[in-house]
Parts: sequence; structure tokens; C-alpha cells
Amino acid sequence: MGQYLGRRALHGLVSLIGLLVLVFFLARLTGDPTNLFLPLDASLEARQEFAERHGFTDPLLTQFGRYVGDLARLDFGISIRQQRPAMDAALEAFPTTLKLAAVTMTLAIGLALVVGALAAYRPGGLFDRTANVISLAGASAPDFWVAIVGILLFAVTLRWLPTSGTGTWLHWIMPIAVLLIRPFGLLVQVVRGTMIGALSSAYVKTARAKGVKERAIIFVHALRNSTLPVITVAGDQAAAIVNGAVIVETIFGWPGIGKLMIDSIIQRDFAIVQATVLLTAVAIFSMNIVIDVAYAVLDPRIRHN
Amino acid sequence: MPAASEPAYKEPGERQVRRAILLLWGDRFAFVAALYLLIVIFFALFGPWLLGDMATALNLRLRNAPPGSIDLGWEFILGADALGRSILARLIVASRNTMGIAAAAVALAMLCGGTLGLIAGYAGKWPGTIIMRLADILMSFPSLLLALLVLFVFEPGVKNVMIVLAITRIPIYLRTTRAEVLEIRERMFVTAARAMGAGSIRIVVRHVIPIVAPTLITIAAIDFAFVMLAESALSFLGVGIQPPEFTWGAMVALGRNYLGSAWWLAFWPGLAIMSTTLALNLLSNWARTATDPTQRWRLEVTDKQNG
Amino acid sequence: MKGVAFRYLPMMALAVVAIQPVTAQAQEVTIVLSEEPDLLEPCQSSRSNIGRVVKQNIVETLTEINPTDGSITPRLATEWSQIDDLTWRFQIRQGVQFHDGAPLDAEAVAFAINRTMDENLDCEVRTKFFGGLTVTPTVIDNYTLEIATNSPVPILPTMMGTVAVMSPNTPMGVADRTPVGTGPYRFIDWNVGTSITLERFPDYWDGPAEVAKATFVWRSESTVRAAMVLTGEADIAPNIAVQDATDDIMDISYPNSETSRLRIDTLVPPLDDIRVREAINLAIDRDGIRGSIFSKDVIPATQLVVPSINGYNPDLEVWPYDPSRAMELLAAAKADGTNVDTEIMMIGRIGIYPNSTEVMEAMLAMLQGIGLNVKLQMLEVAEWVDILTKPYAEDRAPVLLQSQHDNNNGDAVFTAFNKYHSEGAQSTLNDPQVDDLLVRAGAATGDERRSLFQQAFKRINADLIADVPMFHMVGYTRVGPRIEFTPSISTNSELQIATIKMR
Repeated sequence: MGQYLGRRALHGLVSLIGLLVLVFFLARLTGDPTNLFLPLDASLEARQEFAERHGFTDPLLTQFGRYVGDLARLDFGISIRQQRPAMDAALEAFPTTLKLAAVTMTLAIGLALVVGALAAYRPGGLFDRTANVISLAGASAPDFWVAIVGILLFAVTLRWLPTSGTGTWLHWIMPIAVLLIRPFGLLVQVVRGTMIGALSSAYVKTARAKGVKERAIIFVHALRNSTLPVITVAGDQAAAIVNGAVIVETIFGWPGIGKLMIDSIIQRDFAIVQATVLLTAVAIFSMNIVIDVAYAVLDPRIRHN
Repeated sequence: MPAASEPAYKEPGERQVRRAILLLWGDRFAFVAALYLLIVIFFALFGPWLLGDMATALNLRLRNAPPGSIDLGWEFILGADALGRSILARLIVASRNTMGIAAAAVALAMLCGGTLGLIAGYAGKWPGTIIMRLADILMSFPSLLLALLVLFVFEPGVKNVMIVLAITRIPIYLRTTRAEVLEIRERMFVTAARAMGAGSIRIVVRHVIPIVAPTLITIAAIDFAFVMLAESALSFLGVGIQPPEFTWGAMVALGRNYLGSAWWLAFWPGLAIMSTTLALNLLSNWARTATDPTQRWRLEVTDKQNG
Repeated sequence: MKGVAFRYLPMMALAVVAIQPVTAQAQEVTIVLSEEPDLLEPCQSSRSNIGRVVKQNIVETLTEINPTDGSITPRLATEWSQIDDLTWRFQIRQGVQFHDGAPLDAEAVAFAINRTMDENLDCEVRTKFFGGLTVTPTVIDNYTLEIATNSPVPILPTMMGTVAVMSPNTPMGVADRTPVGTGPYRFIDWNVGTSITLERFPDYWDGPAEVAKATFVWRSESTVRAAMVLTGEADIAPNIAVQDATDDIMDISYPNSETSRLRIDTLVPPLDDIRVREAINLAIDRDGIRGSIFSKDVIPATQLVVPSINGYNPDLEVWPYDPSRAMELLAAAKADGTNVDTEIMMIGRIGIYPNSTEVMEAMLAMLQGIGLNVKLQMLEVAEWVDILTKPYAEDRAPVLLQSQHDNNNGDAVFTAFNKYHSEGAQSTLNDPQVDDLLVRAGAATGDERRSLFQQAFKRINADLIADVPMFHMVGYTRVGPRIEFTPSISTNSELQIATIKMR
């Protein structure tokens, strides 16, 4: 197990380095921030002077060397826009994203297990059909569309919820609901699918024959079968939120890392782009390792490999 | 299972189609979904040719004309957009770009991911390791950021949007293929084939691909939906398909500016995306059931009960 | 989704009781902007996202430009006079103190000027208004300051309206995130990503303002900003889109000093043929665009500056919509050997103003209507800037570039040189006569200055047809019922909280 974890961590580190290198060069290919930072009326000389002073005219490899050197000293660069350490800005935004991801995924998994299990109990039944169509329809709607319609409906017309922003728990409802629908829809599908398989399997039949209660069969015996696929899909979805719930953050004014990342690349604020990517990648690699461990614990076959 | 025990007739192709339609009839939702998709495909093929001019004809006096009336002509039954163009005609014409981009992106991702996955699973330790690390990098790359970067470097035309969407989906196919290949490799018949002197490529083509393909196609059906939504999100951020080209996703993105005053601009294309993804999902659920010998009876039983 | 709805229904019912307007406390206002400032650095206050928070709220300027007529009024300076070609003398207002207790004197103003001109700070005020100038402040006595420049600046008092005076305790060379000034409001707190809070400064030299506390928040979607004022979550939403301005009482339109145009690249064929340029102007149905894609309040433009700017030429005429005449002109140009079938690129910038994509699509159709071979491309801001500014590519395609220009600083000099002089950073014009007029106008004063700029605009827009002028634009600001606030031409760059009254 220890050796396995060590190898996973090493793989993670290799990928992380690769990712940072890729981000560095791809970002530089999009052009330097001089024209965006200076006013449109700035003279050619002013532009040239600015670019030189900030090192944008140096050869790419020189810039890269500087970046690597700084990284080695845990210096993640200064944001050209915010004129403060880029990692400060990234760390400030990250908790919001993590909170959103945690609440969303907990709710999504909880709800999906219940709904998926009930749907699988009678495949083709009314509940199954309804749950299936509603969960899929929710997962198929463009999220910015759902978000704005939600604001107009629940905040403007009905006045039940605040339009956007942070503060009370009421402010959480719409952003979470918008984030929730896709993972919830996918997870219901996964739970339902694996449960249907499990319910017609030999060991559930045996349990039935032994007189185990139906409720226990659904929620204990069959549901256990869904654990691994649910973890896989949930991990994937959680990573997607950690990597940027851009649209929810933008529309509802939640200061998360996704919005920071996208705003920064639009403004060519490379230091922040790099810092945010580093942060989210570390989070996601760590989560993947935890998931792998969970796999090994839950499925003995994997442990033996 | 009676169908399985019946002897084969002379036209197996025709029988299979008949059987598939019967199975489809067994799931009414899937049946409607299939019909809907056929209509969308028809529009994607012939829509631009039939209604191309109508979809781009400008009439500023009809700006945001509301839906539900044919006083302005049948083409305005779903209303007019911000430049007074028929939303119905634009929906139909946009189906080509929308479906084309999604299909091409998914096919490209499946082809690249599948090939790389085969190599990673079959070609030994080092190529496998390198490919897997590359897949890790791609997977941990925030997909919207990747899309923005690539589209900032190359201009956001139809072709580049398609390529970007494909790139972000490659790892899924790559990992799935590799996992399956690793398993298949160890199976008896491959070992046997190898013992009999079959070359690697021959083994892959004859024995491995037929087993891997169905899984990939199932994933592709769901991915298709994902790609349409991702394309729409790119439009939201302003780097998706740019006018004068348009897709459903771009129509929703533009229409969101009018959600407070003219909801129909974003509603209809949103509904089109939703219905299409829903239809694809229903159909792929059906296909999974229909191809699973232990589950197929559900469709057949329903068929008998209703028939 | 079903599960979610069921679970939350009881809570939603509770919420009806729970949400009363959160901001309804007396004398507090909430302002919802479209973007968060990245800094609160006073010397960057020419950027609208920073200026709206800090300018004339936290920090003030020596002079203030009256946006309606370009005249100059005193603010932190009480009077000024020109000593010689290169030197101006300013009298500093007495009895003013900064929020941190430091007194305002000539020393403090000199510090502010020096800090603004410091290269390491990349101040936009410096690069935008003082590019290529050396500015040297000299303290004469406690309240008298002389400002010298290395070349004559006849409008230095106007330009001092852009230089914010920050406390002398502000660190040099480091951008500020907690500004301290002399303004009617002092900075309290910046909760990054969420809000910025300002509080009334009780010792303000002009007497304390009415509103006690102001909170700035930001949402990027116009629909959401408008909704926030509607629900009482915010009191002012500057800059909402015309389609969100659906409330006659709350939504106030005001000229925002922006002028939109298509820049014609006159140096590249077939756009080097004046008949083609005229045809393009005649093909645009400005009346069709006004009142549909744009507000009915926009004013068809004849030149790139608004009428309140010194140098605006009132004699120029708006182009009529005459597609048949346009086609005749194209035919004539073609007969003379101009290749009018060359593909012309229309390049737009996504979100440059509300409905920018729609208007480009509409104009595309109009130009295609007269038979031009036009292609539309919408770019994001960085790529667009590359095309807007020199150096231009040698083998570039003929381009009609969507752009918008904001000059609320009173004088045409802030516009003309950059846009039209052959050496201007964004100029696609090469005309010795225009160059000469602009150079002479820049050095002149009074009526002569105005007349020379007017001649230049006549040459540019009537004789050479170097632009497709579109509209003097309007913005919409939604103002909630609790307060009284009148947006003006300067609301684009500053938002003076001290002018807000509670109802």
C-alpha cells in the first residue's frame, strides 16, 4: 500500500510538472499583456518600455528559466493586475470553490443514492421514468441559462431568494442548485444502472430467499454494489467543480477560483493563471489518490494487484 | 429467451433491423427519442439548404417579436431574435453546425483517445507510461482554461472550436480503452492467437477492437451531450462560435442577454439542446439494456404486454 | 432535481419572511458594478473600474472637469495661473486634511504628482495623459505649488483633473489596495471578490455627505445587476443593457461620452478609394439601428468627439441612408479599376458595448446589401487591441474595425492625435494636411485651438471620409426608489457618492 501510494504521488508530481510547463508556454503563446494593461492611447515607446521592464521581450526560454527559478524558491510570481503575490490571490479564492464543491457533491451523492435506488427498485415504473427524464433533462440544460432563469424566477418574480452574492444561507441555494443538477443527473444514472444489475444478481436473490427485508436489500446489499462507480463519477464531477465553477461564480458573484482563472487569462495575468492551475491541480491529484485508496479499501481485488 | 433460439434466416441484416425496431418499440421513450433524433439529423442535412436565406434575413423592425403568432408568417411562430430573424429557421439551420461540431468532436476524441489507449495498453511499459502521464496532464487541465488558451492562440472558428472540444474529451476514451485492453490482453483467446503466431496489429484489429468499440460508443452518446453544453459555455465566455456562424449553444449565449425582456431568444435553442441530449441519453440507455443479455427481457416483456 | 425542490420548499416559504431588503438601513447605499477593481490605486483612477470607487470619493484632484461643457472648476486647488510656456502655478486649498490626519499642503500635492509619475508604478494616468512628458512640481510655500513640464502644455489645469492626490504616507513604488485621500468618503474594507465598503468622512472640508456608508459589489451580467436594484439588494446599477432598461422611472439614460465608429483602414485597397468609403457610410441604416439594437436616445455621430468637447465641429452632417447611391459609387470605383470585390474584414470586439455583436451582424448585412464582399470576425479584447494599435502588419487585409472612443476630459487633443495623426498609435490615416492641423491645434489656445480642431475634423470626416461614425452612445443606469441620483456623462468613469441624496 505504501509503495503504491508512493508511486501514485510520483506520477502525480510528474504530471503536475508537465501541466505547469504546458500552461506556461500555452499562456505565453496568447500574447503578452502590454497592450491590455496600458491604455489604448499609450505611445509605442511607452509600450516598448513597459514590455521590456516586465521582461516580456526576453526570449521565452529565459522567461521560463526565471519562472522555474522562482518556483524552486516557492515564489509563484507577482500578479501584474493586482500587483501582489499571485498565490495570495489564488489562496483567497480557493476556499469558496472548495466549499461549493463540498456542499454540492455531498448533496448530489446523497440525493442520487436515494433517487437512483428507488428508481432501480422498479425499472420502467412511474417513479423510474419520472426520475430518469427529470434528472437527464436537468443535466442537459446549459447551466448559465438555468442560473439566469432561476434568478428571474425565484428572486425577481417570486422574491423567495436573493438574486446573487454571499452572506446568508439563502444565498447558497441557487448556486448550489445550479451546480447540483449535472452531477446529480449523472449519479442517478450510475446508481440506477448498477442497482438494476445488482438487484437481479444471484446474491440479492439469495438474500431475498433468506427473507431479508426489501428495504435492507435495496439500501445495504444492492447499494454497496454502486459504491465504486459512484465514487468514480463523483470524483470526476468534483474535479470539474474544483477546476472552475466559472459560470456559477460569474453569474452569482461568488469569488471562486474558476472565475479568477478565466478573468486572469483574458487579461493575460500569467502569474495568477499559473498559481491557480497549480493549486487546483494539487487538489485534484490529492483527491484522485484518496479515491484510489478508497477503491483499494472497498474492493479487495484491487488491493491484491 | 425465444429470440435467441430461433434459427437464422437468409437475410440476417433485415432481421436484425426488424428486431431492433421491435426492441425500440418496447421502450416508448426511446422510440420517441429516436424519431426526434431522425428529425434533427434530417434538418442538419437539409436545413441550411432549405432555409438558409430565411435564417439570415434581417428585419430590425421585427426585433424580439414574441412567439405564438403566425401573423408575421409561419416562420415567426417561435418569435424573432434580436435582429428580427426567424428563430425557427435559425434553429433548423443551426442544427447542422451544432450536430456537426458535436459529432466531429466526439468522433475525433474517440479516434485519438481509442488509438492512444490501444497503444498504451498494448505496446508495453514505456509508451504506456508516457501516454498515461500525458492523459493525466490533459485531465487535470481545467477544460475551460485549456479551451480559452487554444482559442486565443488560434482564432475561434468552427474548426478550432471542434478541435478544442475534442482535445478535452480525449482522456476519457484513452483511459477506458487502455483499461479494457489490459484486461483483454490477458484473456485466453488473445494468448492463444499470439501463440499461433498472429502479429500485434492483427490481434488488435481482429480481437481487441470489436470488444472495446461498444463501450466507447456508449460513452460517445453521453459525451455528445456534454460537448454541446461545453460549446455553449464557450459561447458564454465569448470564445465559442462567432457570428455570422451560429449554433444552438451560441444562440443561447446571445439570448441570455435578453432573458429579462425576451425569454424566447434563449429558451428555444436551450430546449433544443436539452431535448437532443435527453434523446441521446434515453437512446443510449435503451441500447445498453438491449445489448445486455440479462436485461433485454425488460424490453421484450413490455413488447408482449402491449402488443 | 425533484428531490431538491421538495426538500427546499418549506425553506423557500420561510425565506419569503426572511428576505426583507437587506440594504434598507438608513443612509446606506449599495452600488452594483460590472467588474471588480483589481487595485484601489489612486494613480490608476482613469480606469473606470477603479475610478468609480476611488475618484472624488476617496481621493480628489486639484481641478475638476465639468463634463457637460469641458470647463474647469476648482477642487483641491483654489486658483491657478500660467507663469510661462512651461510653468503653471497652483494655489492649494487650505484647511483640508487626509483621512489619516496628515494635512494637505503643497508638499503633499508634490508627493502625489511624483508618485503618479513614478515609472515603477505603471500608473495609467501617467501613460494615458502624460506620455512623453516630464512633470516637475516645485514647492513655493506651504500652499503654493509650481508645476513645470518639459514641453508646453496649454491645458495643464485640465490635465490636473486626472491626477488624484493620495496621502503622503502612501508607500512609493507599490500599488495601493487601501487608499487614503481627502475625499468625502474613507476606505474601510475590501473583502476581495465580495465587496468594498466606504464610510462618510466626518471632517470633510466641504461638509459631511448625506449618505453614511456605501458598499460596492459587482456582477458581470447586466440582467442580474438590473434585478438587484429591482429587488432592493442594490440602489444603483450603472451601465445596464438597453434591453434590461424596462422600467421608465428607475432606468435613466444619459450620454456616456462614448462615440462608436467603424475605423476604416484608408491605407489598404480597396478602402483607399474614397468612393468605397463613402459607399460604406451611405449603406449604414443608422435610423434602423437607433431605437432597435441601440437605445432610441443615441445620437447619430458625425465625428469621434461629443458636442461638449472643445474642438467639436457642429457643421458636419450625418450620413444619410442611401444604398442606391452607394451602389453607384461602387460601380464608378469599379469602372476606374478599383477592385471592389476584394474581401473586406469587419472586425468586432466581443462586448465592447452592450449589443456589440448584434450591431456588427446588422451592419454586415447592410454592407453585403450594397454588394460588398464583407466577412465578419468577432475577437476578444487582446486580439482586437493588436489590430487596433500599431505596428500594423504589412500585408494586412482591408479592415473595418469596430471601436468606441471615450473622451470626457473636455478637449479634442485627447482624441485627435492618437486616432488621426499619421504617427498616432491607432491611426490608419496618412494625410499631411491633417497632421499639420493637429500639431498646430495642440500648441494653440482659446478660439484658435477650437477652430483648428474643427478644421481637422472637417478634413477627416467630410473631405477624407476616414471613418464610419456611428453614434454618440448612451448608458442606462438603474436607480432604486430609496435614493435620488442623476447619472451624468461622467458616470462612466466616476460615481460621486456625495451627490446621492436619500429620499
